[in-house]
Amino acid sequence: MEKVMSLPKEVYQALLKVVGPENIADRPHILAALRHTNPQSGRQPPSPAAVIMPGSVEEVREIVRICNRHGVRYNAVVSMFGMGGVVSQPGMLVISLRRMNRIIEINEFDRYAVIEPAVRQVQLKAEVFKRGLTYPTASAGPSCSVLANFLTSGDHHTQQSSSRCSRYLLGYEWVTPTGEIVRVGSLAHGAGWFCPDGPGPSLRGLVRGYGGWGGGLGIVTRIAIGLDDWKGPRVLTTQGHSPDYKIPFPPDCHRVFIFKFPTLEKVRDAMTEMGKAEIGQAVLKFFYATEAVLFTVSANDFRDLWNSGLYQRELPRALWVYLAAWTPEELAYEERVMRDIVEEFGGEPVDASITRKYEENMDFFILVSFLQRVLKLGGGWSPTKLGADSIHHMFEVAAAIPEFFYDFIEKGRILDAPHNFQVIPMEYGHAAHIELLFFFDNQRPDWQQIPAEVMQKSMESDIRHGFHAATPPRVKAVMERLGPLYSNFQVWTNKIKETFDPNNVSNPGPG
Amino acid sequence: MDKLTDYRYTMKSCNSCGQCRFILGPMMKGWEYAEICPIHLRYRWDACSGQGLINIAQELLDGELDYEDGLIEHIYTCTTCGACDINCKSVRDMEVMDTILALRARCVEDGRGPLPPHQEQARYIEAHHNIFGEPHEERSDWLQEGIKLSEKADVAYFAGCATAYKHPDIARNTVRILNAGGLDFQVLHDEYCCGAPLWRTGQVEAARKLAEHNTEVFRENGIRTVVTACAECYGTFRGFYPRIAPPDFEVVHISEVVQRMLRADRLKLKGKLDIKVTYHDPCLLGRLSEPYVPWHGEIKSFGYHEPPKTWRRGTHGVYESPREVLKAIPGLELVEMTRHAENAFCCGGGGGVPAAFPDFALWTAAERLDEAKSTGANAVVSACPWCESAFQNAIDADKSTLQYHDFTGLVVRALEL
Ligand SMILES: Cc1cc2nc3c(=O)[nH]c(=O)nc-3n(C[C@H](O)[C@H](O)[C@H](O)COP(=O)(O)OP(=O)(O)OC[C@H]3O[C@@H](n4cnc5c(N)ncnc54)[C@H](O)[C@@H]3O)c2cc1C
Ligand code: SF4
Ligand code: SF4
Repeated sequence: MEKVMSLPKEVYQALLKVVGPENIADRPHILAALRHTNPQSGRQPPSPAAVIMPGSVEEVREIVRICNRHGVRYNAVVSMFGMGGVVSQPGMLVISLRRMNRIIEINEFDRYAVIEPAVRQVQLKAEVFKRGLTYPTASAGPSCSVLANFLTSGDHHTQQSSSRCSRYLLGYEWVTPTGEIVRVGSLAHGAGWFCPDGPGPSLRGLVRGYGGWGGGLGIVTRIAIGLDDWKGPRVLTTQGHSPDYKIPFPPDCHRVFIFKFPTLEKVRDAMTEMGKAEIGQAVLKFFYATEAVLFTVSANDFRDLWNSGLYQRELPRALWVYLAAWTPEELAYEERVMRDIVEEFGGEPVDASITRKYEENMDFFILVSFLQRVLKLGGGWSPTKLGADSIHHMFEVAAAIPEFFYDFIEKGRILDAPHNFQVIPMEYGHAAHIELLFFFDNQRPDWQQIPAEVMQKSMESDIRHGFHAATPPRVKAVMERLGPLYSNFQVWTNKIKETFDPNNVSNPGPG
Repeated sequence: MDKLTDYRYTMKSCNSCGQCRFILGPMMKGWEYAEICPIHLRYRWDACSGQGLINIAQELLDGELDYEDGLIEHIYTCTTCGACDINCKSVRDMEVMDTILALRARCVEDGRGPLPPHQEQARYIEAHHNIFGEPHEERSDWLQEGIKLSEKADVAYFAGCATAYKHPDIARNTVRILNAGGLDFQVLHDEYCCGAPLWRTGQVEAARKLAEHNTEVFRENGIRTVVTACAECYGTFRGFYPRIAPPDFEVVHISEVVQRMLRADRLKLKGKLDIKVTYHDPCLLGRLSEPYVPWHGEIKSFGYHEPPKTWRRGTHGVYESPREVLKAIPGLELVEMTRHAENAFCCGGGGGVPAAFPDFALWTAAERLDEAKSTGANAVVSACPWCESAFQNAIDADKSTLQYHDFTGLVVRALEL
């Protein structure tokens, strides 16, 4: 680690005045947790100069203004589960929003919740369940910030019947990169939180964009998110002790099915038909190596399951369906429709032991409590693609994966798992999301290159074929290459960034 | 004995996911009481958490961090409650608690730790075999007349320092229960401190001597089973002693003994107690109480452990025994806190924290009592003298109307002894 670059004394003192001595620190041991090497990429981030914890939007504004005055680069953070790393340049100020953790309002009538940045999935989900409500919940783990996820990411398992989290973002309160407090959507004209767009262009799209907050445009201090009705139990009936929990839902209204199909085209067509028929709380073609990692406790348990070959036999061309209904009759109707579709495309049930895992762990569909298990093979885990387009296009993209992916498998650099991608339809199939997840052995000497190489090859495949399959990261070179596929979005996002952040202090990226 | 370098894999594997600070997903109940790490809840820095401590351990090991001002204090604020460890292990193959303990041991080895109050405790133990510096000859003074002891029994009641010197009622109640259930047992007048206060503050060599002494005393007296009513002793016998040598005795907590006796009809809980209580799981009786099984091997590609390792994930802690017994007491209503069993929030009484940071210990106990009150209970029950001290201090400081009961006290009342 290079030496910690500190903030000039007068800047530190000015910041300290805003939050008090308890809420700012620059001692190296306090900063150690913010520069830890990420086992997913092997990248050791540079050390920040200091970390500060504001307690209110006014404090955030003051901090941002000081940063602008003194050219101090900053980034906001909540739990650090985000994949991009917090500190991109040495000497940055980390603005940790941990103290801003209140649920401001849950409006059951208009069905929205207003939250601060540090409210976690595990907190909000339980609160809205109690009220018979729910919201799209990314499979990003119980401890991640709802707000950060809605800003940066937001694909999840039940988007067949809902959508990406970003589409549920309503009004929000925003401290711009230069330190103005802006209230967006209906909030701006005093009409409450219910709507993200006021009259005129949608500022939500302007500052968030498809790729989320990677653009680094200030700090969002409150958001409202839309809520849906919840067909499941208001309180979880969890049985057992860690790590062997069982969370079944009432079986007369909640059921899980997994069918295997002869080809990927049949999977695609069955998925499309289920969307047309508007059935299924969740419908997905899931990554089965990930599933094997999720549903086993230790790395050794995973190895035993994987070596049995069961998942490789049953799951490369499978479709997962979770039906949730208000009444047993409604469930029976959806099941009949589903079975007709499955029969039409030659699907048949997979080994019952696989389905049972989901029946016993219904939290998979609401908040994957055991999500971080994907990292248990030493942490060598990474996703690529992560884009969205039509279901058909996503399967075209999937069909081209072997072109670049099998080489990594054959050379033993990643775990052997053909067709190990996921496609999740959203809004009953109006669009779909694709993700290619892979496990690599980070005990290998060349492990740090593997994720970057896979991503590079994936991008080249997209460019070669003209695929829309990536969420372009805020890395200049990548944006320049992928830009032409997406109407040169980078020209626009760069202009927006320059306009709103003339000093380039807000989440500046690696430079 | 394990070394800090043994936990490289843990340090390298952490991806800052934050699970070590929050209640596990399946146990979620709402906004309140969702955090499980006392230091993180109080101070909020990432560095104040299981994650932060293992990040610090790694930098110290790599020579990237010096023993700068405040570092030792930082490392010793942790209550060693293990909530981070169990939460992390619900999803990962990592040893967070053992890394924190090895970090403390490393600080001691480097002559930087522990803190002065812990050094003082070590001196007391060295001189008097108990943490309080009380005369060793008075260790069994709690024993009253009328208690039936059997010199030939292969069962020993081990009181532990806190019970023997500060909470003699627990000892008296325990032996009365054993007598009532017809269990023959001895009280060993040469028992020493179990070693918990030394082990948990990194003074492992001194703790080893205590373990060897006590094991020898058990051997000399033909003891096959050790009964204790102290969670710290229980967790230390099971979690520390096997690191020294394979134990040739079994340890049972009084709640397990009572449960067995009730099931075998050797005890009858007749006395009605009109009381609504909530049960606090002591860390070393609950999530940290699984027996330590030494593992020597290699961590291979993809994190495979060769040979397979026996993980202590908190699955088999003593959770049900005290609850089953309490529920069997006529008139007693048991309600659960949000954070219970392996997700219990610490009382603040462990890891050397009360001695070094009494205000933080008090704050932690108050946070737990607040949760206890939120259940509508009028009393909190636990099964450890250290928890009793922590809670009683907080109740006194807050002039709270909440009462504290030790498990053994309620059982004795229900037995009408
Ligand atoms: C194993 C794993 C699986 C994942 N699976 C999914 C998934 O299925 N779906 C999904 O959507 N995501 C997924 N993610 C991505 C990640 O979890 C999300 O981006 C997550 O929501 C980040 O939340 P956090 O609390 O960790 O935020 P942080 O890491 O604290 O923040 C992420 C970034 O958001 C920005 N940010 C945070 N708060 C603010 C704010 N208030 N204002 C402005 N910017 C802010 C910062 O730039 C920060 O760097 C996964 C990540 C991992 C490691
Ligand atoms: S739960 Fe484990 S992996 Fe996650 S941050 Fe904590 S120590 Fe690291
Ligand atoms: S042992 Fe307890 S106090 Fe220490 S870091 Fe872990 S959860 Fe926090």
